[in-house]
Amino acid sequence: MVLSTVIISRGGEESLRLARERLGADVVVVPRGSVTGVEGALLLGNATNTYMPRGVAESIAAVPGVAIASPQLYLTSMANSTCCSVSLMFMFAYDPVTDFTIEPWLKDKLGRDLATGQAVGGANVFVPDGEEKIKLYGYDFDLVGNLEPTGTNLDQTLFMTFAAASDMAEASRTKAKMALPILVDTVSSVMVRVDPGADRNEVAKAITAAVPEAQAVPAAEMFGSYGSQISGVLRTLVVIVVLTVVLSLALMALVFWMAVHERRRQIGVLRALGATQRFVLLSYMTEAALLALAGGLVGAILAAAAMYLFHDLLVSALGFTILLPSFASLFGLIVGGLLIALVVAAVAAFVPALRASRQEPAVSMRE
Amino acid sequence: MTAVSLRGVGKAYGGDGAIAFAALRDVDLDIETSDFLVITGRSGCGKTTLLNVAAGLATPTSGTVTVDGVEIWSVTDAERSSLRNRTMGFVFQFPSLLPGLSLEQNVMLPLEFSHKEHADAGQRARELLDMVGLGQRMAALPRELSAGQQQRVVIARALINRPKLLLADEPSSDLDEQTEAEIMEILRRIHAEQAVTIMMVTHARHLVAFGTRHLEMVDGTVREDAEHEAPPGSTGAA
Repeated sequence: MVLSTVIISRGGEESLRLARERLGADVVVVPRGSVTGVEGALLLGNATNTYMPRGVAESIAAVPGVAIASPQLYLTSMANSTCCSVSLMFMFAYDPVTDFTIEPWLKDKLGRDLATGQAVGGANVFVPDGEEKIKLYGYDFDLVGNLEPTGTNLDQTLFMTFAAASDMAEASRTKAKMALPILVDTVSSVMVRVDPGADRNEVAKAITAAVPEAQAVPAAEMFGSYGSQISGVLRTLVVIVVLTVVLSLALMALVFWMAVHERRRQIGVLRALGATQRFVLLSYMTEAALLALAGGLVGAILAAAAMYLFHDLLVSALGFTILLPSFASLFGLIVGGLLIALVVAAVAAFVPALRASRQEPAVSMRE
Repeated sequence: MTAVSLRGVGKAYGGDGAIAFAALRDVDLDIETSDFLVITGRSGCGKTTLLNVAAGLATPTSGTVTVDGVEIWSVTDAERSSLRNRTMGFVFQFPSLLPGLSLEQNVMLPLEFSHKEHADAGQRARELLDMVGLGQRMAALPRELSAGQQQRVVIARALINRPKLLLADEPSSDLDEQTEAEIMEILRRIHAEQAVTIMMVTHARHLVAFGTRHLEMVDGTVREDAEHEAPPGSTGAA
């Protein structure tokens, strides 16, 4: 329970932090009134149906304090795609001329920009078995690389240029069962990098004031609603964890009282044979420690397995992404969980063990 | 030579608002090294309490107890435990073998608390189990044995550390007559052949004949049976 709570809370917060970091922007500009929708698109891959005219990018670029303004278009979400290991795949178009989030990675890894007909995928995107290209809406993409895993929707996103998105939309009209619904010259958001020394909040206010159809949000404030959601779930989980620990403590104390009571004659016999008070105390504490380690290890393994096996289910139930820990972090968390189990068992067993050790042997042996 | 000495020993239960019950009243007693002392008396007269106080298993309310030259209630619990382990063996009325251990492991159990290397422990355990007629069943568990056989193993366990003093609390109370006679014969042999001082409490007066000395307990006090005669072949004097 403790391990699951830590994984969920840390995973949720880490996922938000990474998502903000991945934005790579100082200010995010979205269609007015659609901050939550864009947050959902960026974090969970939810489709958005709010757009701004592409021309707002130029208007935003003209606002004092704005260094770069790069438009992005969240195309659509595809359910059960054959080229994605998770149930939803998100498609995302960017402007290679102004982009500062995907391009640096591409130049670093590929040494060039994406050409028409090329795409780069998140960690969970792949070319289906037996195929050479990813076929979407009647258009073939070469997958030229994959991003590092992030635990966010970026892992299940296919990135392409505006030009490629436009070609795909064009192809979909004649080659696909269903045409790709792209509004011409629209964008879902504009990523803004501010001038060095410029105040991000002030620039955001200036953009909102200057561009009527847009709403600018400092990147640090993005995903605020998800942050609140995580905090709410975390508070509930903490209450459940505290109750669980207290109940476990009470239950273990009861179990140890019963164990001590049941074995009082054996304790008396051992004391008569020469066992010291210290031996009796240490025997019970050792037993408690072994039980805690065995139970804690089983619980931790089950919790960790459940988190990995039911990750998607959990994300959809909680409504925010959870970045699963690396194996090194998981090992650390399991060790931490075992330490907590040890402490709980030691606290629960100490008083019964102490009483058992200090009882007069003759009293222990009496019925 | 005195093995156990009690001076002015009293033991009261209750108190702190409850009505106190005196189980032992000002008991003075010397048990000689050659004694096979049988203490008899009715239920509740204080026999077991006397044995427990002498063994360091129950704290006296007053008086002093000296075992093997050590005043046992003036030393620490660890020292008292060590003294019990080194110099005393116990045979209890109730089944006292640990159910999860084999007979051999049960017999060797006291060695675990002696903090010494016992290279011949296995050999000694086999000899003792042979002595009580169970040498062929060293690997058996207690539940595979009858009550009488278990009591024999307890006697073997009591002797593993070569004690000077064997304390037996109603060792045959739950046994049939024949098994009782066998157990008593084993105790008599131990006393005669291994020069172990025995202090045994029982409500069965017919067992007095196995001892070299008899005390009667009445309401927490002890009374010497001057008429008691030592059995033939015993090493002690009545």
